[in-house]
Amino acid sequence: MSMLPSGVFFQSYAAEQGLLRTWPQRLGLVASFLLLASMGWLMNNYWLGILTLGGITLVAVLGLHITIGMAGLLNLGQSAFVGIGAFVAASMAANGWSIWVTLPCSGLAAGIVSILFGLPAVRIKGFYLALTTIAAQIIFPIVMIRLPDGWFGGSAGMSVDPPVIFGWVINTPRSYFLLVLSVAAVAFLVATNLGRSRAGRAFRAIHDNDIASSVVGVNLAKVKIQAFFVGALFAGFSGALYAYFVRYVSTDQFTLWLSVWYVGMLIVGGMHTPFGAMLGVAVITLLQEGVHLLGTKVLSSFTGMSGGTVFSMTNVVLGGVIILMLLFEPLGLAHRWSILKSSYRIWPYPRG
Amino acid sequence: MEVLQTLINGTLTGAVYGVVALSFVVIYRASKIVNLAQGQVIMVSAFFVWFFVQKMEMPLWAGLPLSLVASVCMGAVVERLVFRRLIGQPVFSVVMASIGLLILLQGAVQLIFGAQTRPFPQVLPDGAWKIGDILVNKSLLIGALLTFLLTELLNLFFTHTSAGLRLAAVAEDHVTAMSLGISVRNATAIAWMLGVTLSLIAAIILLSGKVLGLQAAEIGLRALPVALLGGLESVRGASLAGILIGIGEALASRYIDPHTAGAASMIFPYLLMVFLLLFRPQGFFGWKRIERL
Repeated sequence: MSMLPSGVFFQSYAAEQGLLRTWPQRLGLVASFLLLASMGWLMNNYWLGILTLGGITLVAVLGLHITIGMAGLLNLGQSAFVGIGAFVAASMAANGWSIWVTLPCSGLAAGIVSILFGLPAVRIKGFYLALTTIAAQIIFPIVMIRLPDGWFGGSAGMSVDPPVIFGWVINTPRSYFLLVLSVAAVAFLVATNLGRSRAGRAFRAIHDNDIASSVVGVNLAKVKIQAFFVGALFAGFSGALYAYFVRYVSTDQFTLWLSVWYVGMLIVGGMHTPFGAMLGVAVITLLQEGVHLLGTKVLSSFTGMSGGTVFSMTNVVLGGVIILMLLFEPLGLAHRWSILKSSYRIWPYPRG
Repeated sequence: MEVLQTLINGTLTGAVYGVVALSFVVIYRASKIVNLAQGQVIMVSAFFVWFFVQKMEMPLWAGLPLSLVASVCMGAVVERLVFRRLIGQPVFSVVMASIGLLILLQGAVQLIFGAQTRPFPQVLPDGAWKIGDILVNKSLLIGALLTFLLTELLNLFFTHTSAGLRLAAVAEDHVTAMSLGISVRNATAIAWMLGVTLSLIAAIILLSGKVLGLQAAEIGLRALPVALLGGLESVRGASLAGILIGIGEALASRYIDPHTAGAASMIFPYLLMVFLLLFRPQGFFGWKRIERL
């Protein structure tokens, strides 16, 4: 909880604990949500697509925020779990299930698979876990394309029909953007509240010191697997949304590369708050688009310019940004933002 | 006969995994840095060799030392700019930095050299020796012998010289090592020099006479289970585990792959790794860490 300006006080504990404690905060939230929703009418389809994809990515990165940021379990296989969600959603949608069923089921499927790879977490910690999740990431496409074609489409992938909600077919960019926006908002709220709940506090406890937390009564094995499960649950939801958005799923959409990018977004934004996850997704997406624009505008005069060059430039920029953030601001942009906010609040006094 | 051939092929391929795993282990054993970008480092060294020998058309005796100098310079830059600043930071930051490095190097190589594949110079002899009915690949055999020689030399360095023994303290804990008067900075520098040199050797053994492309970096993640299986702190364990995985893979690809469309040999090392981590997290020969409050 950040510091409030002088003169703001509460008369009940519930009011003190509220997510939004003052009326400007409530107004600000409603206004920014309306602003985001209005993007559906203000932006062209290209930018709307980027915004939608950003929302889908945000759900996956929020999951990573829970596994990595809260519980301190390094997960480098998030995109495999996103992929499992996407394939389960696609497969169920092909069998005529509605989005109300496919969305929860894909989340659960990703969560259950993640437990298999999270089990070693009971014995190991730190970066060793990164290795089992990398294993998940590498095994995922190999197994997926060899399963019977009837299950997940084999190596050809699967196409997905647009979802129908209350008899309304979601097939325009605008309607799909609104759907993703609402799911992402719910995911954000859940992630925020999880951090304030008993489970979230247990996650933070094992993050800070797992031996100490087991001494004060946190069941290490259970909590670690829970953290893994919840993170992959979010990934599954993100995957289902992705499947409906792109309308086609295949294993080469869910690479180790994507997992690494998710982690990069989390580092840049700040892994300890959901707001950091949002900031990271926004900044990296904008950076990616910036490089893309710059690449196509400035470099198109040079010969030998191709999509690969833009991709590699984006990688150089992202890799550089990750390293710079780790060296100079390990807490991420969210930390900078909170510094800025508190120095604004106590102006003209110097920040303590 | 056929089984013997499979075993020999597996052993030789395993030795290649071993030398890559060795480069992971050496860096970890000397500085407690898990460098996930090791595959990319190998790729960069390979591109240096290609640049000096193939592009500049230098003879091998000039091109290889120059590539070594270039690789060591790159290692020094990475160590000085990134990992030296992370001394004493949690392992998490170090792993993350290595991921950043992974993305950066992959992008930089693609930007500078391009994504197309190119022939890698024939450094080790081509072809195979025929012993009875069994074919033994020449470059792989030389590579395997080189791997064992390096393993023993490094093992000697780490266990029998005072400089090497000092590194053990660094691998245990940075802060403890510093309080004992051991220079962790020197340790990371040594780690990177050794690691980059090994990467260059690994690149030569791996790619001699083959094609070089951005895919060369994938060997890094393939060798990870090997390094883990042997134990991240054990030099000898790395090459032993390499052979174990190589043989397992060869057997799986010979006898199980026909039934699983080639999946078995690809996922075998990773499944073994996940399984091993459940029962013996430190690997076969790694250090068992005792933790207390």
